[in-house]
Amino acid sequence: MYGWNGKVLRVNLTSGEIAIEEVNPQMARDFIGGRGWAIRYLYDEVDPKIGPLSPENKLIFGTGPLTATPAPTGNRYMVVTKSPLTDALSCSNSGGFFPTEMKRTGFDLFIFEGKAERPVYLWVHDGEAELRPADHLWGKDVFETDDIVRAETDTRARVACIGPAGERLARIAAIMNDKHRAAARSGVGAVMGSKNLKAVAVRGTQTPALAHPEQMKALCREVTEEVKKAVEAGSALRIYGTAYVPPVTNEVGILPTRNFQTGVFAHAEDISGRVLREKYLIRPKACYGCPIACGRLTKIDEPPYVGEGEGPEYETIASLGSACGIGNLAAITYANYLCNQLGLDTISTGVTIACAMELFERGILPESDVGMPLRFGDADAMIEMVRRAGLRDGFGDLIAEGSYRLASHYGHPEYAIVAKKQEFPGYDPRGAKGMGLLYATSNIGASHMAGDTAYMEVFGVPKRLDPLSIDDKPAYVKYFEDIFAIVDAAGLCVFLSIRHLFESTYKLEPVRISRMMEYATGAGYDEETLLKAGERIYNLERMFLVRAGFSRADDTLPPRMLQEPMPEGAAEGHVVELDKMLSEYYRLRGWDENGVPTQEKLAELGLL
Amino acid sequence: MRVHVKLLATYHKYLPPDAEGSTYPVEVEPGTTVEELVASLPVPGGDASVILVNGRGPQPGQILQEDDVVCLFPAIAGG
Repeated sequence: MYGWNGKVLRVNLTSGEIAIEEVNPQMARDFIGGRGWAIRYLYDEVDPKIGPLSPENKLIFGTGPLTATPAPTGNRYMVVTKSPLTDALSCSNSGGFFPTEMKRTGFDLFIFEGKAERPVYLWVHDGEAELRPADHLWGKDVFETDDIVRAETDTRARVACIGPAGERLARIAAIMNDKHRAAARSGVGAVMGSKNLKAVAVRGTQTPALAHPEQMKALCREVTEEVKKAVEAGSALRIYGTAYVPPVTNEVGILPTRNFQTGVFAHAEDISGRVLREKYLIRPKACYGCPIACGRLTKIDEPPYVGEGEGPEYETIASLGSACGIGNLAAITYANYLCNQLGLDTISTGVTIACAMELFERGILPESDVGMPLRFGDADAMIEMVRRAGLRDGFGDLIAEGSYRLASHYGHPEYAIVAKKQEFPGYDPRGAKGMGLLYATSNIGASHMAGDTAYMEVFGVPKRLDPLSIDDKPAYVKYFEDIFAIVDAAGLCVFLSIRHLFESTYKLEPVRISRMMEYATGAGYDEETLLKAGERIYNLERMFLVRAGFSRADDTLPPRMLQEPMPEGAAEGHVVELDKMLSEYYRLRGWDENGVPTQEKLAELGLL
Repeated sequence: MRVHVKLLATYHKYLPPDAEGSTYPVEVEPGTTVEELVASLPVPGGDASVILVNGRGPQPGQILQEDDVVCLFPAIAGG
């Protein structure tokens, strides 16, 4: 095989047995890699009705054929499992340096099954793997764990691990890698914790040969030069990170504010990338092989908010900041560091705290339950809730369950701003209707990473769509979902890919990315086969949900989005007209009225 | 007639020194279109910029009204 290692490392944590398996070349091609291969294995091997935190669940780490190649941003991996937050699928994505190193161990995929009797960590180096005791690591935070594991294995090793949140099975726990990067969403950290798997360390020097190395190098050089030129001319992502976004989403009236009660936040400018750059930025930080460098190495020194780390990015600012009514960027940054240290998803953590704040202000959540007042805008209370959630300390035990279970506990699930029990990211869909349809239909619950139509609706890439219109949105949502599946499965980052590897005309045609895939693998990819593979992955993921019992009734949004008009700003008066879009979306997908892929569609994709 | 120009993200660099936050006032003749105002600004034209008037995409040839907020930022993948 070219591009892929063609090998899967299967780790049975119950028995301690580690096996190496060859990959079927047809499957490899049809499902691209990473996210695609992972759903093929998960679908074939895991009963979708099992408990996500039971030993029967499997946890899959996957790199793609373009991970660790000269492809710019070839630095991603995916974590795929059944989610304890949504009871649907988790497909969480992360970059940094761990994924590249993982690919260089000689394996594309790690499959973890069963449950270790005692805490363990996995050490994989150049084709060899061993499980080691991790009792001494249990209870350690992410930063400590990363340091100790590298000291015990190889200082050049890269580590993915869980913190106290994952150990305590917090449904909003992340898997952190390189200390500050997160496969954050859908509670993947809790699944790792349920298996008593504390960390995975990787080190390798093996990279699979490429099918057409010279052509690959030339194309990658061309793209990299193009991006570098754009960066030198002044790229917002390099200069401000994604933190440039709050004033933009505020302008279009969709910046999540006070648990999505409105989309306009008076302090949007105070939590922007401009302030981050002026006050806290040490320097931009790039993942492996990335010419953009949207990451932020930062330092805060505004007691009690003191520390150094990475972030915040836009999603973190929207959730721990404006969604909680907080306009203090030092406090948000501090809370971000704390989430990284404890191993928490910043989005779900922030939006769950926002939900608790609304319940408190409405008199539904008594102060005696929290032990302190919990009002919007109270930065110290927000930070204390982050700490408690990560440790499941006191009221934090309920925050750790996520918004839906928290709000249901108090009899008001309608205040949980979730789709399939997963908290919304930073775009109120009443002012970006495509995002509304995306959140509702996504197989992983509300997520911008499932197929971000905000590229067009908010950011004008490749052209601007009216965010308040529902025209054409079902077609765009389907299209973005399929192309995001391609990018994820290939092992690339959406930031660079969508802009530079797709032809930016009316739609985003996968022109360069299909050439890259072909140069890397020689498996016969062109634009058509690649798009078909993206659609195949998306449909098999859907079938996992169908078998788990999901249907049209689950493809929905909270009543606030469907019935409460946006009270102010550019989206004033708008709700998400979901029903009008849903049937059209199903029709375009080749799914029936209940959201189930038809036999014809499954046959067309070779999924019968 | 006064309107307000708001420049976000990397377009901060085009703000006049006395701008308050990201916004500054501009005097225009009544009947001025959004396109005419934008053409007079030092920002890149065409698809390179997203243009909003009061947070919404303007119609072609839209006439500016008193106190309109005309916001521009570069079209970039973000979020």
